[in-house]
Amino acid sequence: MAQNVSSVKLIDGDRRLDGRGVTDLRSLKITAGVLKKAGGSALVEWGKNKVLAGVYGPREVFPKHMTDPYKAIINCKYSMASFSSLEDHGRAGPNRRAIEIGKVAKHVFENNIFTNLFPKTMVNISMEVLQSDGGTRIAGITAASVAVVDAGIPVKDLVQGVSVGKIGGRLVVDLDKIEDNMGQSDIPVIVSLRSKEVLLYQLDGMLTRDDINEGMDLVFEAAKLVREKQVQALKEKYERVEEQVADEKPAAGKETEEVM
Amino acid sequence: MSEEMKRILLPGDLVDEAPKRLDGCFVEKGRTFAAVVSMQVGEHVIPLKGFYIPRYGDYVIGIVKEVRFSGYETEINSPYDGQMNSRELREEFSVGDVVSAKIYSVNEVNEAELVEPRRLWGGEILEIEHVKVPRVIGRNGSMLAMLKEYTKTDVLVGKNGRVYLNGGDTALATLAILKICREAHTSGLTERIKEFLEKEARKEVPGKESGKEAPEGESGNEKSEKELM
Repeated sequence: MAQNVSSVKLIDGDRRLDGRGVTDLRSLKITAGVLKKAGGSALVEWGKNKVLAGVYGPREVFPKHMTDPYKAIINCKYSMASFSSLEDHGRAGPNRRAIEIGKVAKHVFENNIFTNLFPKTMVNISMEVLQSDGGTRIAGITAASVAVVDAGIPVKDLVQGVSVGKIGGRLVVDLDKIEDNMGQSDIPVIVSLRSKEVLLYQLDGMLTRDDINEGMDLVFEAAKLVREKQVQALKEKYERVEEQVADEKPAAGKETEEVM
Repeated sequence: MSEEMKRILLPGDLVDEAPKRLDGCFVEKGRTFAAVVSMQVGEHVIPLKGFYIPRYGDYVIGIVKEVRFSGYETEINSPYDGQMNSRELREEFSVGDVVSAKIYSVNEVNEAELVEPRRLWGGEILEIEHVKVPRVIGRNGSMLAMLKEYTKTDVLVGKNGRVYLNGGDTALATLAILKICREAHTSGLTERIKEFLEKEARKEVPGKESGKEAPEGESGNEKSEKELM
């Protein structure tokens, strides 16, 4: 059916346009703690996507009337840089789409952060898309989760996202921009692997019940790889120090000799 | 502390099959999971990240933020402020004053009441992560005693992650504390810091005579002593 809608052939046998197989993710690199002034931060480079996430707080609520004496309130901001894609970006400031993504991200983190532990405060999470190529909300929330953990805010789990969709009649994982726009259907999903919970699910297009069941299995499988990268990014700092310390021992001895 | 028993935990990692009350952990369906980046050493779980929440009995270093008729609102390196009640105080403070105080009570929304404030004159303040405070103090204060011995600095560590340094070689003390914080999760830290202090303290002596660091530090000292008198 997609072939009728457009002349683009998105999948040939098991090979996709960029040479990936049906369950292959794009290259993924996550770096934690990239911003000095933020409580926590992360940069996700996922295929051609580049998303920077920063977390500020918990801190005093502003405006003050939003204060909740029982839990922390969470604000999420998603924004696409005007230079992030080739498309016309319209007027400056958040548009309908950015507000929506900020809202769904807020719901993800309200169910992920232990907000009851720090009442009367606010946590601000920003996701800035520097470069986009489809699946930026997934990349943004994956980055934001690393940033929240980097900030030391207690959470139930690291959350990660993968998109699943249908192109040329085949179910595929991690759709890029062309596959998203020209394909039949796509679902960004955010999951928690520990509790097998789904925290975000936005279906665009049409899929059968069987497709969705099969697709969710693919998502949970692919999310394991994303979690691995997140864990690596967060542990990296501590492991690097440990290695340095191990290397330092002989080196320090040498230096003192030189001084003497 | 054997190397095999040590591992870094991330949120969602299983800590124990039984429900346990541990720092930075939570219990779900009878099992214990980590909620923050922490380090597991045998039975213990030590958080590596976190922000300060006021606790009863803690000594903290605060900065007066606002003066009111009823007392002083004090910033204590936490999402929550501390309050000093005028009725309990014998002296007056103004905005920007640095005090060390004890937390007398914490209410259900984590607001703290501070008592026994002591004004801190001169010196400097270093902010570190509050989860690293036990490492800076060391077992029975061993690390702190060592810092004081080598740098001749008066070091005051607040539970909220503020360190007050006064007199002596504050530059060296700062470097040492930052090193402790950076390497807090490694073993054999005390020895390494001792090595570092010995090496650096020796270096500093000729530097001081050439007048690079000494005049500022020394004059700052005398002034603070005068002010105290």
